[in-house]
Amino acid sequence: MSSKSSLISLRGLSRDFDGLRALGGIDLDVDRGETFGLIGPNGAGKTTLIRILTGLISPTKGEMLVEGKKLDPRHRAYRRRIGLVPQETALYGRLTAGENLVLLARLHGLDRGKAAFRAKELLAWAGLEEHADREARYLSRGMQQRLSLAMGMVHDPEIVFLDEPTSGLDPEARSRVWDLVEKLSGEGKTVFLATHNLEEADRLCDRLAILFRGEIREQGTPEQIKNLLGRDRLELGLAEGALGDLSEICGRLGLSWRKEGRIFVITGPDLPGKLPSLVSRLTGSLYHLHYREVTLEDAFLRFMKELEN
Amino acid sequence: MRGWRTLLAKDWKLIRRNRLLLSVLIVYPFLIMGVIGAAFQESGRPVPVGLVNLDDPGREGVLCVVLDSPDAGRTEGEVRRRAYGYGECTSEEQALADLEAGKFNLVIAREDGRVGGRRLYGALMDSESLQSLVMELEDSATEARFYTSFREAADSLAGMEGGVLLALPHRLHPSLGESLWVGGESYDALRLIREFSGDVVDLEIFPGLEEARGTLREGRVDAVVVLPPGFVHRLKTLEKVAEVNVILDQSNLVKAEFAETGIRGFFSRVTEEVVEEKMRAVVAGLYVLVSGGDFFGTPIIGLERIREDLADLYVALSDRPELGIKVQEGIDLADMVIEDIEKAADYLRGTALPVDLRISSVAGRPLAAKDAVVPALIVLSMLWTGVLCGAVLMVLEEEEGMRARLRLTPAGPLAMVTAKLILASGVVILQSLVMLLLAVAVFRTFASGLWISLLIIAVSSLSFIGIGQMLAAFARQVAGAVIMSVLVTFPLIFLTGAIFPLTQMPAFMRGIARASPPTYALDALSGVMLRGEGLAGVFWEIMVLLGFGATLLFAGSLLSGRKSQ
Repeated sequence: MSSKSSLISLRGLSRDFDGLRALGGIDLDVDRGETFGLIGPNGAGKTTLIRILTGLISPTKGEMLVEGKKLDPRHRAYRRRIGLVPQETALYGRLTAGENLVLLARLHGLDRGKAAFRAKELLAWAGLEEHADREARYLSRGMQQRLSLAMGMVHDPEIVFLDEPTSGLDPEARSRVWDLVEKLSGEGKTVFLATHNLEEADRLCDRLAILFRGEIREQGTPEQIKNLLGRDRLELGLAEGALGDLSEICGRLGLSWRKEGRIFVITGPDLPGKLPSLVSRLTGSLYHLHYREVTLEDAFLRFMKELEN
Repeated sequence: MRGWRTLLAKDWKLIRRNRLLLSVLIVYPFLIMGVIGAAFQESGRPVPVGLVNLDDPGREGVLCVVLDSPDAGRTEGEVRRRAYGYGECTSEEQALADLEAGKFNLVIAREDGRVGGRRLYGALMDSESLQSLVMELEDSATEARFYTSFREAADSLAGMEGGVLLALPHRLHPSLGESLWVGGESYDALRLIREFSGDVVDLEIFPGLEEARGTLREGRVDAVVVLPPGFVHRLKTLEKVAEVNVILDQSNLVKAEFAETGIRGFFSRVTEEVVEEKMRAVVAGLYVLVSGGDFFGTPIIGLERIREDLADLYVALSDRPELGIKVQEGIDLADMVIEDIEKAADYLRGTALPVDLRISSVAGRPLAAKDAVVPALIVLSMLWTGVLCGAVLMVLEEEEGMRARLRLTPAGPLAMVTAKLILASGVVILQSLVMLLLAVAVFRTFASGLWISLLIIAVSSLSFIGIGQMLAAFARQVAGAVIMSVLVTFPLIFLTGAIFPLTQMPAFMRGIARASPPTYALDALSGVMLRGEGLAGVFWEIMVLLGFGATLLFAGSLLSGRKSQ
């Protein structure tokens, strides 16, 4: 993907902290309107990259292009186009939900009336109308996170940076935040999502990049990543004495097998297509069968293991 | 009780690994001990004292004597009787000009109820008559004050019932520049003070009272001692106590207390030495009366010898009992006189000291402890609130996680810092204003220059908030900012001089105190509220505080910006 068609492009971006490399030679393109996911383990450099992209810190090396033009992310015009939802719940606990939104709207230049209107709009958007007058510290963690998301939207930014928005949330709260992110995507916003929740990345992102120890190791759609890094597998429980049959049929079908405890794990190309032949041959000695489709998490974990090895 | 050892080890490990906690609990007390120890290591240093010696016969200019005299009404008649030149003066300026031109050698001013104002007249008389008149008037007065400025003397006369002002060329005042013998050496006033004040005070000589007062206001000396004309004469004759005027900077009670103690100490030594010397001479003279010898230059036969002669005579007159009785009366008288002389010698050793210190304030009025404490309280509360407000308000965003979010708004970091500065200044100024008004209106403390005080409070608050903002750059949570503020505020309070006088600290500690904004704030506020300084008098302090404020706020913003990188 060329930088000309991308909304944001990073070229050779690096950042050092006290001589230690946090990010090294990042090349990345984010297209307009897409939800781009940055996945990686803790300490991979995800937050550092978001802080550079939002102009909160400067890179040690490299450049950032917006719509093909080199740009300092501290530039006021660029900042007007971006919204940030930081990793920690960023709000004033002793202000009400409504006051938090009005404050940010006012700081973004809206007059009193417009700020109040925008706050009301966003409270409805985040499903918090009933909690408008409650001090933010008394809201549940999930509500606080939705409020935080709404606060990032207060000036209707074109690009939204979300730094682990569901970290520490229960499944229900997480799902409601995901709904909001999908809403953003539906509104045509470009979303840059840093997460280590792979279910979240799989569900929300159009494209992904895997960041490991400050470097981008893989990029692509979730499917591409899954195909690249993982395979479906068949888990079989077999009676004693069937090992010969298993070995023979796997050899014939071009599949490989290995034993994990008492279970035999079969992998190989076109596993679903070869499944009937395999099962019919082993019917007499088969007492357990489980077909597992590969998830992004499987792929990621496997990839991490490979990288660490 | 199971597991207490493990928990103990855990707590110790946690303290060791938490640098802030480690500093507060363990390192800080040593630091404070070090600071206080350093401040006290040279305690007992000589107190810097200014000296104006009016007992110097070589002084030029006019000497003014303000007398509180019950005989003030008769002064004019006495002057007319002795003068060969006499005339009314229309103004103080003219009187002074006539005095300097030699038309008169004495100018007298007196509040006169009959004419409803001040009578001012001059006289010309021979030096002897002039000196004897001045001496008589001073002796009959209940109080005598000496000035080198006619204006100042005239001001002090205002509203003084029975007060009279005499202005004369300094050299014409009687009994100037006399010397006395102590330990076989001759001392004039200056040498006497220098000799006996050596390790107690550090003397700086000033030609006039105005310069000495100015230096006292600036804090370069802790007190001014004014030796009256005829100081040594009084010591010599012991006819009347020598009144020494001591001016203290009572706007700082600790400093004033130190200075007064030091001055009283060395005057005690002076007077003890002088009195002892004189007593030794008198006692020696008395013993010569008894035993015979050189009685102040005259060889005499002692009473003991006379008694022995009388005893011989009594024996020789044994056959003339009527004469023997008369001789026996002479012998008894001699015994009685010898005994009385010995008692008198013992009595003289306990004679009262001949110097009286009259303590006054540089503010021109005595200050009570409650007056003097107000500026210190205001500065200390400003320091506390300013540093705390500056630090806590800056860290608040950090703790709420809002810092990054606010930085992305068009408002920007400058607006953020400015808003916090205005709020913190408002809190500090309002708090100080309430304290000031309470002190003046409710507790009736003395305070002048309220508007300039407010200006100083406003300017000082910038520095204090700046310190807080600098500290905020090293804290990420409000609790941390509070602890750091306490750690920094405490030594700064100590360095203001409100608790321990700066002049008693070693040079390097004074240097540190001079690099600390609260020192200037206290100096300026005390100057305006208690010493009656105007804007010009505290202009330097205000400029320094502004400089500190700008530098600290800039450094705070810089550090804060670096932290976010």
